[in-house]
Amino acid sequence: MLLNLLPHLVNGVTLGLLFALIALGFMLILGLMEQINLAHGSLFALGAYFAFAISAPRLPLPQDLLAAWAAVPIGWRFAAALVFAPVLVAPFGVVLERLMRRTYGRDPLYGLLLTFGIAMVLEELIRAIWGTRDYMLPMPREISGGFIMLDLIWSTYRFWAAGFAILAMAGVWVIVERTRFGAMVKAGAHDPEIVQAMGIDLARLRVWVFVLGTMLAAFAGVVMAPMWGIRPHMGVDAVVPAFLIIVLGGVGSFWGAALGGLLVGLVVGLSGAYASEWSMLSMYLLLIAVVTFRARGLFGKKSVLEA
Amino acid sequence: MTQPRTTATFTTAMLVCWLIFASVPLWIERVGLYQYLGVEILIFAIYALAYNLVLGHAGLPSFGHGAFFGVGAYAFGLAQFNLAGNLWVCLIAATAAAALSGAVVAAFISHRRGIYYSLMTIAFGQVFWFTAIKAHGITGGEDGLLKIQRLPVDLGVTSFSIADNVALYYFAFAVFVVISLMLWRLVHSPFGRVVKAIKQNETRARFVGYDVWRYKAAVLVLSAALSGLAGGLFAMAQASAFPDVMSLHYSGYVVMMTLVGGGLVSFWGPVMGAAAFFLTRDIVGAFTTAWMLWFGLFFVTLVLFKPEGIAGMIQDLAQRPKLRSRPAAPVTPAEAR
Amino acid sequence: MTHKWKAPARISRRSVLAGASALAAGSGAFMGPWKHNRVWAQGAKKPIKLGLTCDASGQYGNSGQDDMLGIRLAIDEFNAKGGVIGRKVEWITADTETNPATATRVAERFIAQEQCSFLIGAIHSGVANAITQVANKYGTVYLNTNSSAPSEAGENCSRVKFVWDGNGTNFSKAAVQNAVEKIGKKWLLLTNDYVWGHTTSASTKSLVEKAGGQIIDNLLIPQNTRDFTSYLLKVQQSKPDVIATAVGGDDIKALRQQISDLKLEDKAAWINNQQDWPDIWGAPDTLFGVFGTTWYHHLPLPGVEDFVKRWQAAYPKSPIPVPGNVSYNGYMATRELLRAIERAGSTNNLAVIKQLEGHKMSAADRMQHFDAYIDPVTHQVQQTIYLARRNAKPKDKSDLYEILSWAKPDAVLDDAAPGKCKLKADAEVPSYET
Repeated sequence: MLLNLLPHLVNGVTLGLLFALIALGFMLILGLMEQINLAHGSLFALGAYFAFAISAPRLPLPQDLLAAWAAVPIGWRFAAALVFAPVLVAPFGVVLERLMRRTYGRDPLYGLLLTFGIAMVLEELIRAIWGTRDYMLPMPREISGGFIMLDLIWSTYRFWAAGFAILAMAGVWVIVERTRFGAMVKAGAHDPEIVQAMGIDLARLRVWVFVLGTMLAAFAGVVMAPMWGIRPHMGVDAVVPAFLIIVLGGVGSFWGAALGGLLVGLVVGLSGAYASEWSMLSMYLLLIAVVTFRARGLFGKKSVLEA
Repeated sequence: MTQPRTTATFTTAMLVCWLIFASVPLWIERVGLYQYLGVEILIFAIYALAYNLVLGHAGLPSFGHGAFFGVGAYAFGLAQFNLAGNLWVCLIAATAAAALSGAVVAAFISHRRGIYYSLMTIAFGQVFWFTAIKAHGITGGEDGLLKIQRLPVDLGVTSFSIADNVALYYFAFAVFVVISLMLWRLVHSPFGRVVKAIKQNETRARFVGYDVWRYKAAVLVLSAALSGLAGGLFAMAQASAFPDVMSLHYSGYVVMMTLVGGGLVSFWGPVMGAAAFFLTRDIVGAFTTAWMLWFGLFFVTLVLFKPEGIAGMIQDLAQRPKLRSRPAAPVTPAEAR
Repeated sequence: MTHKWKAPARISRRSVLAGASALAAGSGAFMGPWKHNRVWAQGAKKPIKLGLTCDASGQYGNSGQDDMLGIRLAIDEFNAKGGVIGRKVEWITADTETNPATATRVAERFIAQEQCSFLIGAIHSGVANAITQVANKYGTVYLNTNSSAPSEAGENCSRVKFVWDGNGTNFSKAAVQNAVEKIGKKWLLLTNDYVWGHTTSASTKSLVEKAGGQIIDNLLIPQNTRDFTSYLLKVQQSKPDVIATAVGGDDIKALRQQISDLKLEDKAAWINNQQDWPDIWGAPDTLFGVFGTTWYHHLPLPGVEDFVKRWQAAYPKSPIPVPGNVSYNGYMATRELLRAIERAGSTNNLAVIKQLEGHKMSAADRMQHFDAYIDPVTHQVQQTIYLARRNAKPKDKSDLYEILSWAKPDAVLDDAAPGKCKLKADAEVPSYET
């Protein structure tokens, strides 16, 4: 009986890694900006939609170019989507950061309302551009489908998705922990005044962090699209786990976000084993429980969330 | 030198608002709209007024209020099927069920504020929404609770049927008058002033000696109860109750309505916001399916540049002559409205 | 910011709007999101307005649009002949989003504001129920073209509603008895978690048990599910003889894809109740098992080829190149409604209802194998039910089905329905005429 849990566990770990990816971007922004960005989920959704546009392909190009691109094997198109969709979403992040500037330092209510409104606008924009129907992301056969091992059903793509997530997280770790940029980001989150006194342009730093966070969310969107399907309000399902992980793992901690992500993913994945319909709900219940009993999270640091 | 008397029970704004709404069924069809729209606007005006108790007056950002509205709608239907086919019983059931839900949520979140508060309201909203969808036996799941009837208004001596849209409108209007009057008195009562103080600075209010937790919880429960009442009315209007009013989207709509109308600075703002929302839906919606995109952009623009909303803009216009005639005098505080 | 937002100004703005909308209504240039198909009325006769309550998004968005094509074809054909009782037929549509709450609003608007004489169209039974409720209130006749929950003809039946699709019980009856005897007794059900799924699985269950079989599990699948791994895991572990699915729209497409990827289609016999053509067309390689349908474009019957050609000529850009059962049902329902109006000589709802109840349609007219009729007790069209499976030797790219059998309507009648259906008497239905 326990063996049957294995695929769900793998599912949970994969989900967890991907949630952690989204949460990392969210957390970097939160750390530096001290503002919650409810529109983060929309960036996730945009990533999925741009990936669809690139690989389907559904691009506003002249007919012959489009046909030539469509003839390229799906493997290359999918890879192109993984790389270029985040790049295409990055400008949205820049615009978002610009808009959020007006709410810095004010009552966090305004930041919440603003980003909530932007999230709705982005969702409507998606509906207007791509229509309201669900889409499926075309994928190369090699990484899709499933196989049966140990008399259990495994989804091939889940392993690949986990792999992509680990790659991306490793990249983020290198940037945050091993580069000067990362050092500035960490310093800026810790003490913005000193950083500015040292002559670092905090405003530009913020923009770059926003771009990084946006690209992470978009990348997660591309990777999760085959698992969740592509529909206009998919952002909501992404932003709440991000929140939850931040609360769990504490703001400002890379491993906090990673472990928090894994925990959330496991809860969702394992509850899928027993009561599939309730698995998404378990995430919200977990959030309520954590905030009630241990609002500072597992790695408890007082954060801007407690403004 | 004593303070001026407390706010009047009836103000011009209130009477004008009531008069306009009272007259709507007489001219709404002549402008190319329809009676049912009037009913929707009125019900959501009640809902938005109840919601603003939490957002505008207490400064608590709740993004999960749809849960209370939805609970009210379901409770109305379930009471009708299982308790009694009596309008008053069902409305009380709707209000009570929503108040209870509000109390449960309040117990968990009243000691928080700001971002944590909204996060929790989102989480609870989603929990209610999920439960409504899954509890198929009770709520009918995604198919909804159907065949909810518009029960007659039984006043003992006479009884009116509200099956007709116009009759339902006037009943909802009566409820609106009572609720708006009640809320007006509440906001301008000592209770309301304490809540305002908490909004300005919670720590200071606590130091002065008020039990902040209790006030915040009370506000949420009251707001939830009245939202549930609106939900019960909506169940009658639609003749059914569906889970989607509990979704994050719908909870977001009432937030947008309230802010756009000017709930942050004006008591009547939410009412204007509700009207603006539905009129945009039907009038702009007649030209494009992306009407929500435009409304959303309008909302975002207001948050960025004029969070005081429509009511705020009206107040500005009203004060311009005063500013011109007495440039040295301070601007009359918005709270006087 | 110079526009006056003050409350009284809103009224004067409204009077401007009143003038504008009167102008617009008069000139017929008013284009809605509710797409308007305005027809210039010849002479003084007011056109007949039909409200097409079709999904354009959500789980059944694809089918909803296909439904609309069939409905519009029938309308266009009548208008080409000069309309109905001397009046042109107009139509208006809005997206019901596969969502009952939205459908309620749309129906209310269509009847109260747009003054539609009749409402047509639905795929999702929750949507159909919501529309029926509103139609009941006003007395507007509503044609449920494609929703196949057995309850539509049972506890959710209505005097003003007519059901044009075969329902879950009909399809189960056609398939189950045979399958229990020939394939196996252990059955597992996969059920979409809404009224159609529940009622269809319920009838499958009773039929299986009556034939001596046993239901080992019933898995509820929420609407808009994309990831079926946990359900398939349970399926694999239970090792049933037959798996009966009551899953529709985009969900069944995704489910079939995953079953196919995992090569589970040969592990047990699959019975997919009814498959709609738009759900097959998107993913033809994943078609497996036995399923039901009411019509197929390669049926060797007179009139079929001609209908297909007319449909293709009308919709050269349709994403699906040939009509299927969804479009067919939409076409048939609309055509029979318009014919009923002609026979009644008016659009009065009670007169039209009278013409529809008990109406018989010949097999040739229906392009099916057997005659059909509109059941006066339940208001469901009792028609030929086909069983099909994937065609191993297709004649062309669109020849996906191999038709296995066709059952007479009486052989697959839903016996439980008449008992559950209580139609209101004529006197209780508000009279409605436009």
